[in-house]
Amino acid sequence: MVKILWFAHLSEAVGKRELEIEVAGMTVAALKKQLQEQYPDLVLEHVLTAVNEEYVADDMVLDNGDVVAFIPPVSGG
Amino acid sequence: MMHTRYSRQILFAPIGEAGQKKLMRASVLIVGAGALGSWAIDMLARAGVGKMKIVDRDYVEESNLQRQQLYSMKDVEQKLPKAVAAKARVLQINPSVEIEEYVMHADASNLEPLVQSVDLILDGTDNFDTRFLINDLAVLHKKPWIFGACLGSYGSTLTVIPGVTPCLQCLIRSVPMQTMTCDSMGIISPAVGQVVVHQVTEAIKILLGQTDALRNTYLYFDLWNHEQMSIKISKAKMEDCVTCGTVPTYPFLQFENQTKTSVLCGRDTVQIRPPQALSFSTEEIVKRLTELSYHVSDYRHLITGEKDNEKLVIFPDGRMLLHGTKDIEKGKAIFQKIFL
Repeated sequence: MVKILWFAHLSEAVGKRELEIEVAGMTVAALKKQLQEQYPDLVLEHVLTAVNEEYVADDMVLDNGDVVAFIPPVSGG
Repeated sequence: MMHTRYSRQILFAPIGEAGQKKLMRASVLIVGAGALGSWAIDMLARAGVGKMKIVDRDYVEESNLQRQQLYSMKDVEQKLPKAVAAKARVLQINPSVEIEEYVMHADASNLEPLVQSVDLILDGTDNFDTRFLINDLAVLHKKPWIFGACLGSYGSTLTVIPGVTPCLQCLIRSVPMQTMTCDSMGIISPAVGQVVVHQVTEAIKILLGQTDALRNTYLYFDLWNHEQMSIKISKAKMEDCVTCGTVPTYPFLQFENQTKTSVLCGRDTVQIRPPQALSFSTEEIVKRLTELSYHVSDYRHLITGEKDNEKLVIFPDGRMLLHGTKDIEKGKAIFQKIFL
């Protein structure tokens, strides 16, 4: 199992702040694609992805017990 | 003098007398003097940073006062450009700080000499286009810069040290669409402050040369929901990054000149810039607007014109803001009527 944490408006698109999902062995890119198919309102194009609180690229392969955080860029100021 | 004003800061061991002297010799460029910028300018001025260069394209409005702590009702009434109002306020707080104010839209050509002339750049902007431009210029000229952004109760910040850390482009590989702005989501002032306390703390560490003390993460927080993520970025630097990679192209220095119009964040306002700086005198602009039957007011640093539902503002460099619309074509048409 991999735990997914949603931040900012992403949690609204998904309707929850956390999600546990069976995706070990999958890349981050494949996970994003699967989630976007599952939740049509979800936009993951520009989000920063962290696995276990470390920035990762889209080709990173997920493992059991990983905690994935999707953080959308904030623009105001 | 120095001991009285800065005594508590000098007592703070990592700063001390030597550190205070370094701060007083330091120069910082602040791009944007809105929410983030005005908090940062206030803190840096009180800390005794020697020189600040402040760039902002806008003027003070009443809706700014909820979170832009340098400004007051008097600035609103006088329609003072933020950079001008910020300078006046800083001189009240700490007259030993040297301020250069620039009332202009930051672009590659006017920002580059400013970037080259300072020790550090602080992000006070409200849009990703300008942030990526700062990122390109900072990396090109090897100047540290500190990204900051906030919205609602969220905020993010990142410290970029060219040649050492990843840059903004490594982490966010293209300009995100402006789907969420303060227009639609609003903002609470603690979110602003929370970003700025991190920005200014990192800025002071850099100015003192204490880079070992830097945070080295991309920080995200949501104050309302008590969430914080501090993401390690040591592996995020991309070899093929278009800004800090092995073959940089600095994309925002290439395309910048094509964007002469923009919709201002949270303002329901479009901005039109002339292709080259116009050399119309204030009198000529007033005369032209009057001929076109606008009700004209000259506020010294800017001129306002009102007619029917049109409310516009013209700055001495020919830059025009048209309020109450996001329609850039409408803005261009009005601009041409006035200046051609």
